[in-house]
Amino acid sequence: MDLFLQQLSNGLVIGSTYAVVAVGFALAFTVLRVIQFAHPDVFMIGMFTGMVAAGFVPGGGLAVALLGGAVGSTAIGAIIERTVVAPLRGRDVLTTLIATLGVSVILQNGMAVIVGPDPIPYPRLLPARFYEIGPVLLTLRQMFCLGLCALLLVLASLYVRRTHIGRATRAIAERPDVAAAFGVDVRRVCQITFWLASTMAGLAAVAVGSLYGSASAFVGLLYGLKAFICMLVAGNRYFEAVIAVGLALGVLEALVTGYVSSSLRDAVAFFVLIGVLYLRPNGLFGSYAT
Amino acid sequence: MPNLAFFEPILIFTLLNVAMTIGLYVTALSGQLSMATAAIAGVGGYASGILTVKFGVPFLPAVAAGAFMGGALGCILALLTLKMRDFILKLTTLAAGEALSVLAFNWDYIGGANSFTGLEPHTGVFTCLVVALLAFYVAWRFDGSRLGYAARAVRDDPLAAASMGVSVAQVRIITFTLGSALIGMAGAVQAHYLLVITPSQLGFFVSLNYVIFLLFGGLQTLAGPILGAVVLTALPEALRFANEYRLIVYGLIIVGVMLWRPDGLLTRTPLGVARRILGFTLRPARLPKGALRAEDVLSPILPGDGVAMTKRN
Repeated sequence: MDLFLQQLSNGLVIGSTYAVVAVGFALAFTVLRVIQFAHPDVFMIGMFTGMVAAGFVPGGGLAVALLGGAVGSTAIGAIIERTVVAPLRGRDVLTTLIATLGVSVILQNGMAVIVGPDPIPYPRLLPARFYEIGPVLLTLRQMFCLGLCALLLVLASLYVRRTHIGRATRAIAERPDVAAAFGVDVRRVCQITFWLASTMAGLAAVAVGSLYGSASAFVGLLYGLKAFICMLVAGNRYFEAVIAVGLALGVLEALVTGYVSSSLRDAVAFFVLIGVLYLRPNGLFGSYAT
Repeated sequence: MPNLAFFEPILIFTLLNVAMTIGLYVTALSGQLSMATAAIAGVGGYASGILTVKFGVPFLPAVAAGAFMGGALGCILALLTLKMRDFILKLTTLAAGEALSVLAFNWDYIGGANSFTGLEPHTGVFTCLVVALLAFYVAWRFDGSRLGYAARAVRDDPLAAASMGVSVAQVRIITFTLGSALIGMAGAVQAHYLLVITPSQLGFFVSLNYVIFLLFGGLQTLAGPILGAVVLTALPEALRFANEYRLIVYGLIIVGVMLWRPDGLLTRTPLGVARRILGFTLRPARLPKGALRAEDVLSPILPGDGVAMTKRN
């Protein structure tokens, strides 16, 4: 039972980071009809700009690192939106997929030229402290990562449900033409959505970097596929469903690692995906028609 | 005179990539863009490898078996995704490919994580040339056949195609099987060149390469996949002078082409539509007498706009 609870909490920490990246993916896909394959690399850029920013402040500087991560990822997201995604809006999904994949290749290898292809140590922005909550042992870094991701997800959910632009976002997801007819500035909302998704990824990236204590130019590969699968399994009709599936995937992987074997961990997501797509092709909770 | 040994691997990979991309083109002709190319090629490779290494079967029958296994896998995927819509289909094939990769990773009989080794070299430039030409011939004959036209009609509008008497399910299964058989054949030949098959070769990111080849060249003509595979296989080699920057340049070229020609490098201009080349407008090709476009026939009865060109019959 203790092992179960421990793996459950470990899974929730990882799952929350999947959820943040998956939500960014889902926002871009539902609103812009673009599979933003460079999104995980925006996450990666945020990790490194956060690290550089933290380097300016002696002795930690968590807030500075978060700021650096947010600024870096938002800037790179805005550049991608302006140069690649906006000109291709309305094109076939595959065209944008290949184009953003090209962007992903550029970002990964560009970063590999700067920092080298191997993982490098990431500054531990928080002290190594353990907390015992009942039978579960959590580090401060894990708790910070979970807390930050939860905060981001709650804010994103409030944004989509309660704010004016957020509602416009959902209107565009449902019917872009009708939304435009009702006076929504589709181009503007798409842009803002893209920026916000990038900012979220950058903030989460700093927490993840600090959690694992290492950063690599190719960290996006793993996150990209997982986040993509979360979006598909959940379907893109309900924003909160993507979050739930992200958390569930993290927990499921942790349980498989704990009880079965760690080599099967990465396979879990794919078997879930095949099963769900076969039984419910539009995802567990339904999708907007494309 | 540059050393031929330097160019041989590049030539072999170019020819094999051409064959696989042609196989993908055949699959995509009926609108099913498979994301499991590498997995199908890998299954072909494993099948032929097991036969030659463990059962002592000669090379040619083993390659035929590889093609058969590839085709069988394609048939299964087609049946699995028959009812699925375009986008979901791509993702199911993607997931199936990854699942096979994991299966190969955990199956000790075929080497598991340690890869499948012990294959004997059978493949040279000539073998690959034969494979590429065979793939081209099959795709070329298929392209102009009744079935090829039916496949395009299914791709453009399954509803319209079905109303004209085309069996959508049959066409989709046949194209997927045929294309996958070509990919399986190329995969079997490739395995006997690399002499080792690793489970990661079956993964999504390898499959994605072939999709990039196809979309880069354009999937409207048979020349498209060939051009895409040749250019994008040779390009990273040609960019060797750029050292560590070469993959960045590679990415820039892909992004540039997608922005400049979103439908790929080679596109098809429909009959009767003016063609523009470098800003010059050419006179539109005249429609042959009595030729009908699907939209002329179908637009009064069907919603949306059919763009399939039907053969006069």
